[in-house]
Order: sequence, then C-alpha cells, then structure tokens
Amino acid sequence: MEIYIIFGILAMTYVMIVTRRTLGLISGFELQSFFLFLLTLAEAFSTGNIELFIVAGLLLIIKMIGIPYFLVRMTKEIKANENLGLIVNSQLSLLSGVFLTYLSWLFYSYIIQGHNLTEGIALTASLSIILMGLFLMIFRMKALAQIIGLLSMENGIFLLASSLSGGMPFIVEISIFFDVLVSVMILGMFVYRINKLFTHVDVSRMTHLRG
Amino acid sequence: MSIRNIGKINALVHFILLAGCLFIASRFLTPGTSFSAFNFFYLDSLSAFFILTIAVINFASALFSIEYIAREAEKKGISERKAQIYYLLFNLFTTSMFFVTIVNNLGMLWAAIEITTLVSAFLVGFYNTKRSVEAAWKYLIICSVGIIFALLGTILFSYALSMHTGIKSLNWTDLISMAGRLDMNMVKIAFIFILVGYGTKAGLAPMHNWLPDAHSQAIAPISALLSGVLLKTAIYAIVRFGIIVNISLGGRYFGHLMVLLGLVSLLISASFVLTQKDIKRLLAYSSIEHIGIIAVGLGIGGPLGIFGALLHIFNHAVTKSLMFFCAGDIVNAYGKHNMYAIRGTLKILPFTSFMFLFGMLALSGFPPFSIFMSEFLILTAAFLKGSYIAAGMMLLFIVIVSSAFIFHLSKVIFGRAPEGMTPVKEPASGKLALALLIILISIMGFAIPGPMNSLILSAAEVIKR
Repeated sequence: MEIYIIFGILAMTYVMIVTRRTLGLISGFELQSFFLFLLTLAEAFSTGNIELFIVAGLLLIIKMIGIPYFLVRMTKEIKANENLGLIVNSQLSLLSGVFLTYLSWLFYSYIIQGHNLTEGIALTASLSIILMGLFLMIFRMKALAQIIGLLSMENGIFLLASSLSGGMPFIVEISIFFDVLVSVMILGMFVYRINKLFTHVDVSRMTHLRG
Repeated sequence: MSIRNIGKINALVHFILLAGCLFIASRFLTPGTSFSAFNFFYLDSLSAFFILTIAVINFASALFSIEYIAREAEKKGISERKAQIYYLLFNLFTTSMFFVTIVNNLGMLWAAIEITTLVSAFLVGFYNTKRSVEAAWKYLIICSVGIIFALLGTILFSYALSMHTGIKSLNWTDLISMAGRLDMNMVKIAFIFILVGYGTKAGLAPMHNWLPDAHSQAIAPISALLSGVLLKTAIYAIVRFGIIVNISLGGRYFGHLMVLLGLVSLLISASFVLTQKDIKRLLAYSSIEHIGIIAVGLGIGGPLGIFGALLHIFNHAVTKSLMFFCAGDIVNAYGKHNMYAIRGTLKILPFTSFMFLFGMLALSGFPPFSIFMSEFLILTAAFLKGSYIAAGMMLLFIVIVSSAFIFHLSKVIFGRAPEGMTPVKEPASGKLALALLIILISIMGFAIPGPMNSLILSAAEVIKR
C-alpha cells in the first residue's frame, strides 16, 4: 500500500516537471501533497499515534488547501503569463527527471547496505523529489516556479524524514510547518513587489546586481 | 511616539540585554559548564560566547539605528509606520539569532536559522527599490534552498544515530554522547549536506552569491548585523555538527573540508575585491574573506587554531559593524554607492572618516588592532601544524584583499571632496556607537580582557573535546 502512495508522489513530481503552465504546476504540487497526506494518514492509522494524525491534518490544511489556494489567487491577481518559461523543454525535463531518480537510486544503494525494498523506494523517491524540486527552481524562469520548487523540495525532505527516521520529533515537525507557511507568505509578498516594480515576474530578467 | 524615541527605547532594551548576556557569559567561564532545561534549551561556553558576540553587535546596531532611521525618515520619506516596522523586524531578527544559540534540538536550530533568513529578507528589501527587492529575492531563494540541504543533513545525522543504537533523537547532547557509535559513512555524507546548507548561509564560497547583494542593499545597521553576526550563527551551526564529526571520524575530515572551503572563499574574495565599485559590496566581499579565515582557523584546529578562529569571529563582528556604520553614513551624505564618486570624506564627515580609517586598517590586519591578533594566531597554528601551503595561500589572499581595500578606501577618505559640499553634522548617538566599537577593537588588539579570554578558552574546549 505504502509503495503505491510513494509512487503516486513520484508520479506527481514528474507531472510538475513536465507541465508548461503555472496552474498545472500548482495542481501538481497539490496532488503531491495529497499523496503525502495519504501516506502520513496510513502511518497514523497503523501506529495509532495522535501526533501523526495532527501532522496529517496540518499537511492537508496547509500544504494541500492553504498554500495552493494562495498561489492560485496570486497567479490570477498579478495576471502572470500562464507560461512558466521553460529553459529546458518538457521532454528533456522529463528525461532529466528520470535520470535524477536513477542517480538517487545509485546514491541510496551506495549509502545503505542491506536493502529493504520499501525503504529503498521511499529513500530514492524522496531524494529524487528533492533533486527535481531543485531542477524546477533552476530551469524555470518564473518566480512562482521557484516557490513551488522550494515547496517540493520540502515535501521530499518530509518524505525522507518519515521513511528514514520515523518522522522528526513533533515539535520540530510543527515548527517546520510554521516555517514553510511563513516562507511561502513572505515569498508571495516579494512576488507581488517584484511584479509591481519590474512589471513582470521573470526572474531570469532580474539582472541589476552583478559581480 | 516619535521615531527617535522608539529608537532610544530600543537601544535601552538592547543595553539591558547586553548586560544580561554579560551576566550569562560570566557563568560559563570555566570549561565544562553547561546548562540545560526542559530537554529543549542547552547552553555551554560556546553558546555563551556567541550570545555575547550577538548582544554586543545588537546593542551597537540599536544605538546606531536611532539617528540613522530618524534621518532616513526625514530625508527619504520613509513613513513613520515603516520606521516602526523596522524596529519590529529588528527585534524579531535579533531574537531569532539568540534563539539559534540556545536550542539543543538540531531541528529547532534549523528552524531558527530559517527564521533569521525570513525576517532579515524584509530588512534587505526595505527600501523597496528594484535593486533591493532583487537582492532580497536572491537572498531568500538561495538561502532557503541551501538550508533545505542542511535539513537533509540533519535528518541523515539522526539516522546515523538510530542505525546502530536505535535511539531516535535530534538533540545535540544525545548525538554527542553517542558520537562514537554513529555510522561513519552516514556521518560523512550528512556532514557534506550540513556544510553545503549552513555554508550557504555563512557565505562560504562557492555558495556565497547572495551575500554581496544582500549585504550591500540592506539598511546600514542591518548590514552590520548581517555581516557581523548572522554569518556567525551559521558558523555556529557548522561547528556544532563539526564537534560530532570530530569525535566520530577524528579531526581530519572536518579539518580538510573547512580548510578547503575557507581557502576557496579567500580566493573568491581576493579575485572580486579589486574590481568593486560599490563601497558596501567591497565590505561584503571582505566578509567572505573573513569567513574564509574563520573556516581555515577552525579547520586547522588545535588549541591555537580554534582559539584564533573564535577570537576572529568576535573581532570581525566588531570591526565589520564599525565599517558598515561608517559606510552607511558616508553613502547617505553623498547619496551614492559608487566609490569613484565618493571622495574626501575626511572633510565632509571628520569623525566618521577617522573611525573609517581605523576600521580600514584594523580590517586589513594591521597591528595593534584586534584582527591582527587573531589572524596571527591562526597563521601560527597553521605553521605549527605544518600546513605550510594553506598558510601561504591564506597569507597571499589576505595581502591581496588588504591592499585592494587600502587602495580603494584611502582614495575615498583622502581624495578631493566634490566642490560645494559642506560638512555634515554627525549625531552623538552614532558617534557613541562608533566609539564603543573602536574601543573594543583597540582593547582586544592590545590584550584580551581576562574574563573574555577564559570564555573563549572554555568555548574552544567545547570544540576540542
């Protein structure tokens, strides 16, 4: 069961990496978070741990509903061009994504001896999600893609923590959620400012500071 | 309430905090003292040393802010509300930096460092110009990505702990007590991530790209905090993990990585510093240089190297704050950042220029100022250890940076002032802040006061164990 959910998360990350439109990227992130929520919920039911239920609830409220809603509203308000500005086209991006997954698998088999299939898949998936998030941040021109890339990296870390060390201590988990929420809000405020000052949100055209 | 009065109250609060921190530091003078509470807070001499450094710079910055912000409000039309927001953010920023140094849980340490980024981004983008918003965006994005790698490293550390011992914990004290039983391979990989992550925040090259932009675009008192202490909190995090790595793997791994990154930072700084035009960017590149020196000192290790590195952390914080304060006043008086257009400050701002001159000499490593002492200690440690190549390269880069510094800034100070410019009145509270810092620089250069010496010694003891 867990494996299917993890594959779901990974599949959504591929969707995010392929899509050309801002709203598509946001929905991709929404679904990625949804699968992460399912995973946490499944774990919560199997262990009966109250804290995990709270974490799952936070995932649902913050990452699946709150942040995507905020991002969609922002995209509409700043009337950003629907196009994400792909520096690397969809096909090549997908290929890179697959390659990054393969790299993560190699990394996993290098660092961990004594394979356990579920753990291996979880680790590989989380590492490749982190890397693909980074890929999104680098190879998309729009400021919004950078925010979502960052969030996707954060999701990857969450998956890694829950599969590797059985989740972080509760208080750490909560403060990371708080951090994510605040950072998205702040990044969003800066996107508004950039839009107002530069009349576009194309990060690749922000080149005042050099050397 | 007027902006000046808010500033005065703020300075008073930070003065009281400084007194409190001096008291706290005085409790940690003997090696091996530690304090923990609720399984959440943990303080030892190392934390106390960083707390003291942060408190000193906070107070100086609060003192300098009084007139600086009030004048900005009068001249540039920053609204009263925006000035109030400045003080709110100032305090959030300083609080989050204190928080970094007192938590035991490494996950919380991560969260605290992330909060410092989020809060200070507003202070970088405070003027809301194209340049400052661009700098803030770059700062936010690069540091957030960097720090995600640090979180990854932190998780891998906790995994390295649970692999053989079955203990699930992110507490530094747990990791340190079990450091001998950590999975060595995992520790090696995890520390790379930590170094990339917190190294980004510390401004170690090649992850330094955001630093010159953010530090040059921020408001002057905040530039001082960013360069003076924020970078050091990231160094603090690296050192906390480094201690674990040292016990687990022996000193070489941590040492080699730190020396390597330190030298790369020095190299980057030396290659960019000559061609700078912006006075505050010049200072920012000098921060990269000094972070490099600190990293080399920590990497060389040994009692002398670590003592030198810690001393350098304090000295650089004090000196760089002085320089940023002066640069802020100079930039305001001339209305320009470009050094080629700023000439003859000695006539326009006599007191500030004198301080700037002393600061320049101190930062370039001239005796009898304090930075000479710490650089000398680190170099001696390197020579004693037989790391001649590292020492030689460090010396070469320091010479390049220093000569570029003197080349640029002496023209700024002694050149011909533009026609028709009249001397600017320098406010008393700003002068007081500068004087305070220059006194610290001079005292620390001649002789380190006894209590400070024992504090640094016992902090070095924490790193060495």
